[in-house]
This record gives sequence, structure tokens and C-alpha cells, in this order.
Amino acid sequence: MLTLDRRQVVLGLLGVAVLGVIWQLATTHVTRMTTFPNTLEAGGAALAQLVDPEFWRQLRVSGFRWACGLGLAVGIGVPIGLVMGRHRRVHAVVDPLLTAMYPIPKASLILLFVLLWGAGNGARIVAIATGAIIPVIVSSYHGAAGVEERLLWSGRSLGWRAGRSMLSVVFPAALPQILNGIRIAISISIFVLVGSELLVRGSGIGNYLFNFYDVGQNSKVWGTALALAIVGWLLDSAYVAVVRLATPWMDGQV
Amino acid sequence: MTEILRIHNLHKVFPGKRRRDRPVVAIGDVDLDVSAGEFISIVGPSGCGKSTLLYIIGGFLKSSSGVVEFNGAPITGPAPARGIVFQAYGLFPWKTVLGNVEAGVATRGLPRAARRQEARRFLDIVGLSDVERLYPSALSGGMQQRVAIARTLAQDPELLLMDEPFGALDAQTRAQLQTELLDIWELSHKTVVFVTHSVEEAIFLSDRVIVLGHRPSIVREVIHIPVPRPRLRETVLEHPEYPALNRRVWDLLEAPAC
Repeated sequence: MLTLDRRQVVLGLLGVAVLGVIWQLATTHVTRMTTFPNTLEAGGAALAQLVDPEFWRQLRVSGFRWACGLGLAVGIGVPIGLVMGRHRRVHAVVDPLLTAMYPIPKASLILLFVLLWGAGNGARIVAIATGAIIPVIVSSYHGAAGVEERLLWSGRSLGWRAGRSMLSVVFPAALPQILNGIRIAISISIFVLVGSELLVRGSGIGNYLFNFYDVGQNSKVWGTALALAIVGWLLDSAYVAVVRLATPWMDGQV
Repeated sequence: MTEILRIHNLHKVFPGKRRRDRPVVAIGDVDLDVSAGEFISIVGPSGCGKSTLLYIIGGFLKSSSGVVEFNGAPITGPAPARGIVFQAYGLFPWKTVLGNVEAGVATRGLPRAARRQEARRFLDIVGLSDVERLYPSALSGGMQQRVAIARTLAQDPELLLMDEPFGALDAQTRAQLQTELLDIWELSHKTVVFVTHSVEEAIFLSDRVIVLGHRPSIVREVIHIPVPRPRLRETVLEHPEYPALNRRVWDLLEAPAC
């Protein structure tokens, strides 16, 4: 297992390296845009951000909002999705509401929430939660709907009624899908976070990034964006590692 | 002999999936009485409703009409007293082998320490003590079925329902598990209702073989197997009545629908 991971890491870095080379060549030989940094400049700016305490300070502010929003989305979304998967009427009621929300850019909802709750953390957290909850509900729904009937019957044969079955059969059986949905929600919620911090400024990593844009410091814009991407990648990797430790029977399904 | 299971005029219809589909009569009219301690098999052509019958006895499906009684009371739903072993997908993949068997033991209300001990005892009976920490996905088909049997036995059911438990296994593993099942059964003499496609398996294992007809099914014949117990495969195969019994069941299965 470990050797396979090393090979995957090498291949992954290779892919990024190829992209970096293309970017460098494009900026230096194809276009003449002086405002667009090449790979080396952007990479250097990213490293500069990663050692800048202000970057991390702003990241902490945003991180708090992100964690609360994601937590809310998972805490509410998973039960809703599971119940939808086992009760057709609930699905019939909730599903149209979900599909209606798909085309709405969730980051823009921050403008609405700010009217309701002001420009504090509350509105931002709800905006992030709204973005993150959709993949969580959808994946939990599919996980619950696809539970093998014989597993449910085994539970009933052991005397487990509906509530116990939901906890002891449906939830663990749906866990691979739920965890995959959360993984997607992590990425989407970062996206909504940064987007909402563009629309409603004040503080946070999105605001920090767009400040550079406002004054035309493009390499710092790209530097921050890249640094954020690296942080996001680390978060995703950490998530996958934790999930694999916590669910040994799933054999790398996430 | 006490009658543990009584089925009279059982009829089961499944409505069509879409509005214009005709309903499917899975079971036409079945009568069946099982006494305590008996081992009976149900055989029949594909689609004749033998699994449906088992699921109705198990309480997972409801009958459309007729009497289905367990110990004198109508069956309304599943219960630990009527344990079931499925052909596959019966084990919880997120629990270890020991965890699965413990789930069966847990139906009996023992304290935690005793539960683990009991679970180990049943794993020992099926010869899988050394894999208690593994997850079902790491086991072969035969081993998984042994764990499934251990879990259901651990519930201490009065009635053991088996839905083609060895159907997905290769012939040798199948034969091995048949013998093991009989060995286990000899210790406890639980009442067993065993559904199978295999005529040889049915004759080898059971006291009586219930032969169902084509859908909508009725009981074509009940064949008594006079081979004394405990049974070895050789004693069954070499029994003077074996060829006639085998022939009789096959003839019934191959007979055209009435």
C-alpha cells in the first residue's frame, strides 16, 4: 500500500510540474501580458504567502467560518439525506427544493443573508453551510437508498426496529457515499467561502486576496490563490487519511 | 411432536410495478406444517416462490391471505426466534467477524463480557476462531457463510431459516458446509427450514422434502427421507431408496406446469 502511494505522489507532482512548465512557457513566449506572473514568480509569491503571518491570521478567521459552516452542513445534511433515502414522501418534498437551489451561486446568497443578519460571522457561516449541504444531502440520500435489502432484513431479524436500523444499518452502509459527499463539500465550501468574502469584504482570506487585486499586485493575488490551493490540497489529503484510518473495512473506497 | 410452524392456504400476490403491469401470483395455495426439531427442505423450479415463502415465514414479507402461524400465533414481522441465513449480503461489512456474531448474541440480553465469550464459542463451533478480527470482505465465500450461520445460531432461534445458503459456493465447499451444518444441527436439533435448488442437497440434509410446483405454486408432494441419523454422505448415497427418491423429486421438478 505504501509503495503505491509513493508512486501516486510522484505522478501527481509530475502532473503539476507539466502544468507549471506550460504556464511558464505561455507567459514568457506566447503572450506579452506583463501583468500576468509566470510560474516562477507565482510560485515564489505563494511561498512568500505561506511564511507570512498575516496570511495565516486571515486564514484562521476564514477557517473558523468554514469549519462552522461545514459542520452545520454535515450535522443537518446527513440526517436529512438518510431519511430521504428511506422515506419516499420525504424525498418527494425535499428534492424539488434542492434542485431549485442548484443553479443559484451559493456565494451570492451572502448578500441576502447580510441583509438578514448583518456582516458578522453568522451570515457567512450560513452561506457556506448552504453551499456545502447540497452534496452532503445528495450523497447521503444515494447511500441510504442503495442499502442492500438483506442487510436491513438481517437487522430486523436481530430485533432492530426503524430507529435502531437507521443508526446501525443504514448509516454505516451509506458511509462510503456520505464520506465522499463530505469530501466534495469541503472543496465547494472553500469556494463559497472565498466567493462570499469577495462580495462582503471586511476580513478573511478572500478579502485579503482581493485587496491585492484592488491595488494591482497581481503576483500577490496569484501567490495567495496558489497558497490557498496548497492549503486546500493538504486539507483534502488529511481528510482522506483520517477517513481511511477511521473506516478500516472500507478498504480505500474514499 | 409439537407443531412449531403452521401454514394453511397461503397465497401471495405481488402487485405489478407500474400501473398497467399485471400482478404476479408468487404463491398459489401452500399448506405446510413443521414439527419441532425437524429439518425440512423446500425445493422447486426457479421462480416458484420458495424464497418468497421463506421470507413470509421470516416475517419480512406479508402474506396476501392464508394462515401463517409460529407457535400458535400469527407471524407479524421478523423476530430473533426465527433466525435467517441468506445466500449472501447477510453479514454487516463494517463489523468484524466477532462483531457480527456478537450482534447475534446481543439479542439474548447477556452482559457485555459474557456476550464476547458466547460469540467466541459460536465462532469456535464453525471453526473460525482465528479470523475473529477480520472483516467479512477479507474472507472467502465459504468462510463468510460460516460466520453468517454462527451469527444466526448465536441468536438461539427456535426456527432456523436458510435461503439457499450454499448456493453461491463451489461444489466442494458446499459439500463440506453441508456436513458441518448437519454436525452442528445434531448438537442442538433446532427446527430448520432450508430452501435449495439442489435435489441432492435437500435429500442429504432433510427429514422431509417439500416439492413446490411452478408459479402459482402449490405443494406438489412431500417426500419423507427414511435415511437414519446421524447421516454420512456415503450412507445417504448408498441407501437402497436413494435412487428412487432422487428420481421422484427430479420428475416432480421437471413435470410441466399444470
